[in-house]
Amino acid sequence: MTEQPGAPDLAGPVPAELVAVAERHGRVVAAGDNAATLADFQPDRTGQLIASARLPERLVSSRLLRLEAEPDGLVAAFIRYTAEDGSDTVLRSRWIKLAEGWRVTQVRNIPDTPPVLAAAGPRDDRLDAPHWEGLQVGEVRVQRCTRCGSWIWAPQPLCPRCHSFDLAWPAVEPAGAVYSWTRTWQPFTSELSGHVPFVVVLAELPAAGGRRLLGVLRDGDCADVRVGAPVRGEVDPPPTPGGWPVLRWRLA
Amino acid sequence: MSRDRTLRGAAAVAGIGATPYYKRGTSPHSAQRLILEAILAACADAGVDAHEIDGFVSYANDLNEGLAIGAALGVREIRWSTMVWGGGGGGVAAAVNAAAAAVACGQGDTVVVYRGITEADDGRQSYGKGHFPPLLSAHGVLTPAQVCALRTERMLEVDGVPGSALEALVQASYHHAQQNPGAVAYGRPLDHDTYAGSRWVSEPLRLFDCSRENDGASAVLVTSAERAADLRCAPAFVLSGVQGAGPDWSESAENNAAYTSAGFHPTMVARLWAEAGIKPADTDVIQVYENFSGPAVASLIDFGLCPPGPEAGAFMTLPNLIAQGGALPVNTSGGNIAEGFVHGIGLVLEAVRQVRGTSANQVPGADISLLLGGPVAPLVSATVFGSAATI
Repeated sequence: MTEQPGAPDLAGPVPAELVAVAERHGRVVAAGDNAATLADFQPDRTGQLIASARLPERLVSSRLLRLEAEPDGLVAAFIRYTAEDGSDTVLRSRWIKLAEGWRVTQVRNIPDTPPVLAAAGPRDDRLDAPHWEGLQVGEVRVQRCTRCGSWIWAPQPLCPRCHSFDLAWPAVEPAGAVYSWTRTWQPFTSELSGHVPFVVVLAELPAAGGRRLLGVLRDGDCADVRVGAPVRGEVDPPPTPGGWPVLRWRLA
Repeated sequence: MSRDRTLRGAAAVAGIGATPYYKRGTSPHSAQRLILEAILAACADAGVDAHEIDGFVSYANDLNEGLAIGAALGVREIRWSTMVWGGGGGGVAAAVNAAAAAVACGQGDTVVVYRGITEADDGRQSYGKGHFPPLLSAHGVLTPAQVCALRTERMLEVDGVPGSALEALVQASYHHAQQNPGAVAYGRPLDHDTYAGSRWVSEPLRLFDCSRENDGASAVLVTSAERAADLRCAPAFVLSGVQGAGPDWSESAENNAAYTSAGFHPTMVARLWAEAGIKPADTDVIQVYENFSGPAVASLIDFGLCPPGPEAGAFMTLPNLIAQGGALPVNTSGGNIAEGFVHGIGLVLEAVRQVRGTSANQVPGADISLLLGGPVAPLVSATVFGSAATI
């Protein structure tokens, strides 16, 4: 386990003792020393921290790239881990000064990438299939009643207003405003590991009669999200052949 | 010829029973066994032979069908069975109401309401099963915590309810749990720094804003008001009950019309007070389902028990929410957050204890005890219990 030479970048008033602490943390993580890794974590959240980051199996080295003082008194450490196959993974750990010393209070993979869920795609009864098929050709399609013009979301088997079964799926301009949002930190399933925290936005679309569509916000990690902020939809291609594209939001 | 269609005072809870709250995944027995233990305890509490049970009601897709429970108990006859639709704890009060309705119209005489969960039988997050279709889950929205976080964020940011209102509700739960040896938070008081320093689950909800899953079961026995008066315990009369979902409410992929509401729409609220013959201010004590702190505050606002918007902050304070002198004591056993979580069935038992005068955090002279079922669920429900003095 050899440490790469070279001092880390320091941004802002970074306590000097943290350089050695963070470098040592990188070494114990790369060495697969779980006990020493856990000892660096804030004790009330070890489970959340373990499941938040995603690292390759066999690591051969680590390098502390940068320490950055943050406005709330935390210090962010960017540590690059190199795996046996030569691939690099960067984690950003945020450190807090507790009575017992510096501890990791948050950790995430860098860059910020949205979680990819196997659940993407039409539901079993295919009620929402035209929406997903629209995404395949880069369109955001929302259900609308052909008879009375009502926009319907979530999709329904008939128009709840006039009871017509004649429903269309027009493509709409994917531009709107944040109706609400949440930044999720808890890696509820393994699919979320490596992608937390991520921001989910509920966006209200004027072009769809004010119907609201969910989507992950791109680059939401440090984004200053507020209700009312304008957002624009983008379509992520399928993560795998045979998979489904997914709608994402971006602050406009 | 008009018929009396009121539920008021026709039925009462005559017995309550519960297993301990086990840490999730640690129950020594199956959910079925826990349910049977809870039902036998409720019958013993009432002084009723369990063979006399003639009706079974549950909610939230309890895996143990009433007919199987009835067979295990060897009941003489099953006359009534109901499963309330809707996930999570929205149906908890509706289940009580269904039992009371059955008794009120003679479809059953001794109806038990029960709910039991073990992680071994039900898996994790049994409260949300089937309610996270791809239009949510493809975007990483996998849990009620995230849906309730979205609702709460807008309630805070747009309606202007201060975050301190959420913390006060949580603090009240932990305060009450310190007097309840059966509570999971007994002996573990919560201070402000611990609350505010706890990890985010999904902003704006932190760890302590969330209820915890437990293994356990509880049951209550509902019978006619006349019969209840002859049994061992003071009856908790059902004064009124409501359940339902307002316009654009259920399964709408976050397109609910009243988005920051808990789901108790105005006509539903008006029906609850009207049938009970009371005003919100007559309520002595409340058990409000807190899957998460934010939606519980929204429930209190829906019922006019707490002012909306920024004024909620002045009202929702720890001194105001505790049994020892508070104007509106809430969750006097510790609730889902600090006593334990089995889809809120424990809140029913505590609502009954307050009417009996046997709570570990007894509100002096409590005659009107309100139960509010799971907020933000596809279906929500509420029950007003009253002492003999209210009949």
